[in-house]
Amino acid sequence: MTFPVDRRTFLRASGVALALPLLESMQPTLARAAAASPKRMVNICSTLGLYAGSWFPTAAGPGYEATEYLALIDGHRDRYTLFSGFAHQEQSGRQPHNSEITWLTAARRPGMDGFRNTISVDQIVSNHLGYVTRFPSVVLATVTPQSQSFTRSGAMVPAETSAAQLFRKMFLQGTPEEVAREAQSLNDGGSILDRLKSQTTSLRRHVSAGDQQKLDAYFDAVRTAEEDLAEVKAWQQRPKPVVDATLPTDIPNPADLIGRVKAMFHMIPLILETDSSRVISMMIQDHGVVPQVPGVTSDQHSLSHHGQDDAKIAQLKKVEVEIVTAFNDLLTQLRERSDTNGSLLDQTTVLFGSNLGNANAHTATDLPILVAGGGFSHGQHIVHEGDNAPLCNLFVTMLQDMGVEADTFGQSTGALTWG
Amino acid sequence: MINRVFCLAFLVGLVSGVVSAQSFEPEVRRLVQGTCVRCHGVGTVTPLSFEGLGYDLTDHETFQTWEKVYERLVRGEMPPPAAPQPDPGAVEMVLGSLKRALVAANLAARGEQRTSLRRLTRLEYGYTVADLLLVDTAVGTELAQGLPAEADSGGFDTVAANQSMSPLHVKSYLAAADLALDAAIAVGPPPPTERHTIDYAQSQYLYGISAAKALGLGIVKPLDDAFVAFFDFGSTYTFHSLSEGFGVPYPGRYRVVVEAYPYQADTPVSFTMHRGRLSGVAASLDSLIGSFDLVRDAPRTVEVTPFLRPGELIGLSVADLDIPVVTDWRPPGDPSLGYGGMKDFPGEGVAFKSMTIEGPLLEMWPPRSTRELLMGVEFDEDGEMRLTKDPYAHVSDIVDRFATRAFRRPLEGGELEAYASLAHPLLDEGRPFFEAVRVSLRGILSAPPFLYHTGAPGTLDDFGLATRLSYFLWRSMPDAELFDLAGVGRLSEPTVLAGQVDRMLDDIRSERFVQDFAGQAFRLYELGATAPDPTLYPEFDGRLGQAIEEETELFLAELIATNHGVGRLIDADFTFLNRRLAEHYGVEDVEGQQMRKVTLPADSPRGGLLTQASILKITANGTTTSPIPRGNFVLANLLGQPAPPPPPGIGTIEPDTRGTTTIRELPPCDRSARIRLGVIRPDRRFPNTLSGLRWYGDVWRFRGPPAVP
Repeated sequence: MTFPVDRRTFLRASGVALALPLLESMQPTLARAAAASPKRMVNICSTLGLYAGSWFPTAAGPGYEATEYLALIDGHRDRYTLFSGFAHQEQSGRQPHNSEITWLTAARRPGMDGFRNTISVDQIVSNHLGYVTRFPSVVLATVTPQSQSFTRSGAMVPAETSAAQLFRKMFLQGTPEEVAREAQSLNDGGSILDRLKSQTTSLRRHVSAGDQQKLDAYFDAVRTAEEDLAEVKAWQQRPKPVVDATLPTDIPNPADLIGRVKAMFHMIPLILETDSSRVISMMIQDHGVVPQVPGVTSDQHSLSHHGQDDAKIAQLKKVEVEIVTAFNDLLTQLRERSDTNGSLLDQTTVLFGSNLGNANAHTATDLPILVAGGGFSHGQHIVHEGDNAPLCNLFVTMLQDMGVEADTFGQSTGALTWG
Repeated sequence: MINRVFCLAFLVGLVSGVVSAQSFEPEVRRLVQGTCVRCHGVGTVTPLSFEGLGYDLTDHETFQTWEKVYERLVRGEMPPPAAPQPDPGAVEMVLGSLKRALVAANLAARGEQRTSLRRLTRLEYGYTVADLLLVDTAVGTELAQGLPAEADSGGFDTVAANQSMSPLHVKSYLAAADLALDAAIAVGPPPPTERHTIDYAQSQYLYGISAAKALGLGIVKPLDDAFVAFFDFGSTYTFHSLSEGFGVPYPGRYRVVVEAYPYQADTPVSFTMHRGRLSGVAASLDSLIGSFDLVRDAPRTVEVTPFLRPGELIGLSVADLDIPVVTDWRPPGDPSLGYGGMKDFPGEGVAFKSMTIEGPLLEMWPPRSTRELLMGVEFDEDGEMRLTKDPYAHVSDIVDRFATRAFRRPLEGGELEAYASLAHPLLDEGRPFFEAVRVSLRGILSAPPFLYHTGAPGTLDDFGLATRLSYFLWRSMPDAELFDLAGVGRLSEPTVLAGQVDRMLDDIRSERFVQDFAGQAFRLYELGATAPDPTLYPEFDGRLGQAIEEETELFLAELIATNHGVGRLIDADFTFLNRRLAEHYGVEDVEGQQMRKVTLPADSPRGGLLTQASILKITANGTTTSPIPRGNFVLANLLGQPAPPPPPGIGTIEPDTRGTTTIRELPPCDRSARIRLGVIRPDRRFPNTLSGLRWYGDVWRFRGPPAVP
């Protein structure tokens, strides 16, 4: 990242420690010059699909009649656009749920022989923005560290599952001893990486020509990690933002799916408001336990395989209604809260949906996809012909909106425009 | 696939003699033009087109395509039965020359290289750190969880081509090394070893619960020498150690002794021991330590030594209790019942007498991990470090010793200096010795010779051999014996090597190989991925889940130990059971919760991998079963010939369980279903297996040929 004014220089010169507003000249040079307020991106995936009969409206265009789920978010109708017919191609993987690892990447045939995931859309933005915020990206999940965010080399970025831990990292100052120890550890880490780099030549002697590539990947990783550590160190010397919120209490019971979803949803406006990160991805996971929702007696995964059994569908809908309701609360919070640039929702592109179009049959076509906020023109149901239109076209649009100069992503055939 | 072709070639002795990569063209072209292009040519709809497919096998994609052609041809899948068939002799000849060309091209591409530079997997990292630093395996496993997950590449995670490396990895290695050294180095006064005995009969806490009138309380019954539990529910707050005043103060192994006896029990009952943490008022009992049977009114004393971390507790619960049908008794949840809710309850119970927790169990202080790592440094009675020479010399000694083991070979010129000097700036600044030497050690734990299997191209030297061998069979670094044999150059002697393999297989660490192999080859790692629908299959619980995994692992270990033929894998008259799993399978006379080898009755529908509950579970989704995933398991995981992906645009079967009993009874008009079935059907080698697999239900009950839902 190149800054017109080096941030550390600026900080030293300012001599005071406070949450500095971003000056125009400190914005990343590649960001759209016209953007007065920072652009943000939030991606949320409910990995067991959303029961199609309760999600998709029949009519296209602006005047559609809200379905059971859409009625729950209908108060924001003018702030979101609904899409049907989106998919990534070739998503039947080794396991039927493998499409959850490619929702944000669009890599083909997940988990099949020789599969290597590709970079996810959020990580492209994260790499592009870099340490302009304390955290280039935040990756969240409800139960396990499994995420949908992948680095350029296909490594999964582990998700944070504890709201309390996240809050501490974001907003709580450690004790002086902790801060000192962390600083020491970062310093040591820096010198270790520097030393490892210097081992390049001697190591190269010991590997065959074909393996030089592997070593290159390692040393590239070391170089980037070293740069990152320097950025983290710079941020470590700045006080963390103060928020009007208390340390959340984690919900230890994995069966309290909705409680866990809400706990993470509460963190999202705080992260954006304080400009701690501009890129957030969250995965709502199947827990293999019976979610604590009144009237629900089976786990969500079993319910998603309802086999057209009405009783099961009824239970499934109870769980999904709670998820969509929680999402509605998130939209409300983002809409009501504002920074100096106005409503957070207008500055944040929120992608909500699933990697499964029909979880009962594990199909990954005609995905439920919704885009809210971000200053796009909203209020419509955009219907694509068939069930296999490239979701990547939407991703290209989202990338461009975030200031990434990208014409393609994954399986895209162009950028998506609507209005 | 490359490996399979290569191995085959190797076995039939085709490796000798280099064949020109181009020489297969004339013969193959004749067959292709005569037979294949009809469907695989210009303008045909199939994904493969021979037009534009070159013959240059040095091109990776071309190689892969020809390899696929070879495989479809050798399996007789192409040309399809309906199409005109070529002369078998011609096919034979084409297969021969194609194979020679592929093998030659593969060997040429590899050159001097043996296998690609591969790094330790996450699992191997955990074991290696534990063995290298002499810390508890539990510590290593936990550290490994902090590393990026291995990518799901469809193959083994040890295959270098599929392994990724990213800045995230590098940062995680640095962090993991920090935590590993925290665990390994303990100086200062030793933590006091304490012994805490809970005499349940004297527990005021349990007395309070037994006497409570509030909703949900009153669920335990006081006896003269114990308290009785009748239900699993409520165990999150009744018998755990923290409610009796014991939480774990220091990380380490603890000796836990529990005394219990069956109460009013006519059949065997059992109790379970869990590791957990307090969350709110109740404890999470999330990790099962063990399950123990109580039979014939006999009191039993159970001793285990789990690894515990600060903040954890030990919880007890009960299982296998028959709940009687009683009409004149109301459950204690009813507040109108009042005091002494369980007094007259006639059901089976477990009486807990006592729990004693002692620890942390210290072999010596400072622990062996610290003394070995900081060899040469002395410690006084209080565990304080005393240097015996110049600190720079100490650092050199420590780094020399440690890096040699970590790199699994003698150090090379410059390496000692490179890592030792990392500590020098800190020593120069006068920082504590311990802080300074840590930087060197952390550097070593992040360095390529530790993280990767390095080694010069050409013949594998003895140190390289030791590394390959130990990661193969132990998933960890070589031990001292392998290292010493490599040092004197004897490991590669055939008799020595064979002896070492036997020794390694007999070693307890070979369990790691079995677990990791079964986890990946037979997908046992997916066992926890779905939970059987509790309303349909209430018999499933964590103990059954644990038993079915152990069954398969013990079964595989037995096949290896007794050197059975590979046929045993799917056809065996024995398996491994405990009482819980035996009851599930309907096998009689198996008592106790320990797994043991059991000969199956002649008429048992069980026997062999495909009828083991573990495999049946991972090939079901928790609600419905389908022969398709099970057939696909046979193809992909046993035969190594995964079904080709379905043609583009083909949907999956939409399960509809309303009144349908088997997949064959799905509406016949469901075209996609038939096509999907067709994907499996061409392979006619195991029709009985396929249809037979329908007879095993979702929780792997055998439900017999007349399939019922």
